[in-house]
Amino acid sequence: MPISDHTDRMSRRQFLAQTGLGTAALFTGTVTLDGCAPANDTSHITGQLNGPNHRLGHLLRDAGHGRWALPDVPFTPPPVEPAHDVGILIIGGGVAGLSARRWLEQQGVRNILLIELEEETGGNAKSGENPVSAYPLGAHYLPIPDVRNRELLDFLQQADVITGLSPEGLPVYNDYYLCHDPEERLLINGYWQEGLLPTVGLSADEQAQTGRFLALTEDLKKAVGTDGRDAFAIPVAESSADPAWQKLDTLSFEAYLDQEGFTSPYLRWYLDYACKDDYGTNLANTSAWAGLHYFAARKGKAANASASSVLTWPEGNAFLATALRHQATSAVETGWLAHSIRRDADRVYVKAFSGQTQQPAFFRARQVILATPQFISQRLISAIAPERLTLADTFHYAPWLVANLTVRALPQDRGMPLCWDNVFYGTESVGYVVAQHQSLQPQSEQQVITLYWPLTKESPDLARRKAYQTPYADWKQMILAELEQGHPGVTAYVNDVQVWIWGHGMIGPQPGFISGQARKQAARPVAGQLFFAHSDLSGMSIFEEAFYQGIRAAKEVLHGQKR
Amino acid sequence: MADSGSPNRRQLLLLISVFIIATCGLIYELVAGTLASYLLGDSVMQFSTIIGVYLFSMGIGSWLSKFLDSNLLRWFIRIELMVGIIGGLSAPTLFVLFEFTASFRLLLYTFVSLTGILVGLEIPLLMRILENRIAFKELVSQVFTFDYIGALLASLIFPLVLVPYLGLIRTSVFFGLMNVGIAAILLYQFPETRPYRPSLLTGILATALVLATGFVFAGQIMSFAEGQSFQDRVIYAKSTLYQRIVLTQNRRDMRLYLNGNLQFSSADEYRYHEALVHPVMQGTQSPEKVLVLGGGDGLAVRELLKYPSLTSIRLVDLDAGMTQLFQQNSRLRQLNRNSLLSPKVQVINTDAFTWVRADTSRYDVIIIDFPDPSNYSIGKLYTTTFYQELDHLLSPAGVVVVQSTSPFVAPKSYWCINHTLQAAGFQTIPYHLYVPSFGEWGYVLALRNKHWRLNGKLPPDLRFLNQQTLRDMLHFPPDMAEVPTEVNKLNNQALVQYFEEEWAPYAN
Repeated sequence: MPISDHTDRMSRRQFLAQTGLGTAALFTGTVTLDGCAPANDTSHITGQLNGPNHRLGHLLRDAGHGRWALPDVPFTPPPVEPAHDVGILIIGGGVAGLSARRWLEQQGVRNILLIELEEETGGNAKSGENPVSAYPLGAHYLPIPDVRNRELLDFLQQADVITGLSPEGLPVYNDYYLCHDPEERLLINGYWQEGLLPTVGLSADEQAQTGRFLALTEDLKKAVGTDGRDAFAIPVAESSADPAWQKLDTLSFEAYLDQEGFTSPYLRWYLDYACKDDYGTNLANTSAWAGLHYFAARKGKAANASASSVLTWPEGNAFLATALRHQATSAVETGWLAHSIRRDADRVYVKAFSGQTQQPAFFRARQVILATPQFISQRLISAIAPERLTLADTFHYAPWLVANLTVRALPQDRGMPLCWDNVFYGTESVGYVVAQHQSLQPQSEQQVITLYWPLTKESPDLARRKAYQTPYADWKQMILAELEQGHPGVTAYVNDVQVWIWGHGMIGPQPGFISGQARKQAARPVAGQLFFAHSDLSGMSIFEEAFYQGIRAAKEVLHGQKR
Repeated sequence: MADSGSPNRRQLLLLISVFIIATCGLIYELVAGTLASYLLGDSVMQFSTIIGVYLFSMGIGSWLSKFLDSNLLRWFIRIELMVGIIGGLSAPTLFVLFEFTASFRLLLYTFVSLTGILVGLEIPLLMRILENRIAFKELVSQVFTFDYIGALLASLIFPLVLVPYLGLIRTSVFFGLMNVGIAAILLYQFPETRPYRPSLLTGILATALVLATGFVFAGQIMSFAEGQSFQDRVIYAKSTLYQRIVLTQNRRDMRLYLNGNLQFSSADEYRYHEALVHPVMQGTQSPEKVLVLGGGDGLAVRELLKYPSLTSIRLVDLDAGMTQLFQQNSRLRQLNRNSLLSPKVQVINTDAFTWVRADTSRYDVIIIDFPDPSNYSIGKLYTTTFYQELDHLLSPAGVVVVQSTSPFVAPKSYWCINHTLQAAGFQTIPYHLYVPSFGEWGYVLALRNKHWRLNGKLPPDLRFLNQQTLRDMLHFPPDMAEVPTEVNKLNNQALVQYFEEEWAPYAN
């Protein structure tokens, strides 16, 4: 059965198809100008702009706290309906909150209630769906974890992501969830190369720098501090406190690369891409420690996958968030905007607005876990701990754009065929992933592709404000312009563009933040009643950290109860 | 100069022209219809739409003729030139552009309409040229007599002489030259053409040269057009949702191509299918239920139906276009002996991976006849994950066979499939045979334990397999000996890479 080079054939065919049409039109003499639609015509493309409920969220800031929330107003406990009177209240149904809830239940704790602002739990691990495919709206993959991360492995086993252990004791991952081959490609110099680290068209010196950097990260994976801990670990809290390593955090990644003589533009593009991809920051405002952590902390082992393997699903990490939620049974109420918190000696009172009625109601709990980002958490408790309000100012969040495009087909270009992750060299976005990549059905021409775009051109605050003001039509043009850079002519094939804006998409590990005091202070419990769980307390917005922070806070709750 | 001929002779010349252009006109129509049937299939549809469009265009041409005034002869010669070039080049152009155009039909009907319009202009113009030379009733009678005789001639010589001896491209080019020839003769037989002879002569010579070149190189044009893929006559071609199905025929055999890849030749497919089906059927005692994955041609099922003990055969093939073709087309039904219409056979058109995960039946035998792993999509059907899913479908003593590409051309691919089946927990028995149209071809039997009998009873009327060939197939000479390979998994797709690397030198 002779094979034909399908790749080449299609492109040639498509090219000639257009020529052929042109020829035919010449023959018929019916060439009219409106036959060739202008390339920037996007009127056929549907879609809309969405995002987390930031308008309702801003009620918190804009509406003032009301008399109830003022610290100098004497506090009298409000009436609370029985369903809102619980042992432990968790505010925030993202991965950290769901992780805390699951862990507490597994320790036998009952009488837990979780409240969430959005209509769905899952936080950043949000997803959408259309007739073509489910697709991610935020976090969308998990690298296989370090085997020492027992708690995470247990969770994955319960979620059937790990199906067993090999005779050597290594986890066996579910083949359906390990990212299928081909995984990654990069469009560089008009050619799709395999893998994201540029290899095409590098000079000998540039190649040597790439080699040197890779060797460096291999060494860093093995590096251990004076306290016996790994220099770079996930969760971040497991990393060595050795000042020799921690001092890398005070330096920007850019300054570090200058200092170490990594000048190759290709390598630096790749490292900048990595910072954007994982943190939503660029080389200048990422700490060197965090920049290296991206490479040096991935030490996963598996019986059937390599250290660089990732787990992914059409709906992205919504799969994991759903599993987290389903591994516990206690009540979850969505559509509640927590507004302010007061307490007395043995109870915490939370005032919240119902998203449905816009009316306030009260919740009462012995302990509360605030599984919300610090710009919300510290504000919620400003009546109790006003001195902590300034802590939030040191937390900087990167705004993100996530666009899901439904395309009738994707032009096939020279080089690697369509992969899971498809990146364009030198453009602003970090490329797109293909939602149906994990699907086992024969590839259809129709695809949903998810374009990820951290808004790093301006400072996060400015970029966020601008993002909130930019109308859908402008986003659509920008997104198509970005995609056209990688796939000229693709606009005509796009049917739908769904735009999602994360105003506070990811915590940015800016120089000094991870080694600094603010995140430690922000994580400190208040009066044995208030606890804090969010990935921003790790300084990195990744699933593993959120999962860890949830369990850490849950453990603190239990520890306090025992005393 | 010969333009001193008598008016009577010129009149006769014009009537002969009517005869020739009528022949040419019908030939172009027949060429278009035949070509469309070759390339698009469904000849009834193609012929009737092409005849309709052509006649309608002739109507347009006739109507347009009233707008041509002044020098009618000059117009007629010009039109002959245009018919010659457009009609004459219609077949080569359509063949060459077929592979490349998004809408072949648009191109086809453009050619048909243009030729039709020009041909439609011819007769009215000629009648007007002749109107002052002959009485009207004579004129009508003579012109149409010649016209219809020409049509009869065309319709007889086209199938009997032209297609068999000249082929479509040469036929169309040849009649293009005839039109040009008419133009040349008229130009030199009529004195009134003198003023514009030089300019038209240039056109005639250029057109004749192009057409003559086309005539000489028709063979090369044809082989280029077919992309060297189908040397034989295409008797059926259809693009389904998933693939392009092409059937070709020559004196020796009929061949099926999917996306340009040969699937079988009727001359030796019995070797492939006997070797696919009968060894696995020896692997289990009185099998009752069989699952066939792929194999939409029904040829494996044909072999299965030789076992009366079977009560149910379930065939899962993605492409309904394929299974319907093999259920409906009489020649193909002859080849698979109506196997897909047997009451024992259930045909399911869906994706095998999804189906295997969802199915809850148990089968004694599973026959896997997927296309070769030439892309990542098909590569998934050769992974440990897929083979592990077979476990819950297989009865305790069940046996699986997998068509596994060529152990000679692609030893790494072949042994990779073997190792993948082993990694999925099966005991394997690799074997191979020679299929002339494919070359050396390999299969892997996969069993829960090595209980496989060599001396079971084979159905009586096999052409290739007997106890001796069964034993021979197990022997792998050194040039096809087992090589170490990776195991094919969803997250490495090692097989697709081996396959690409090993078959690349054979790709055209």
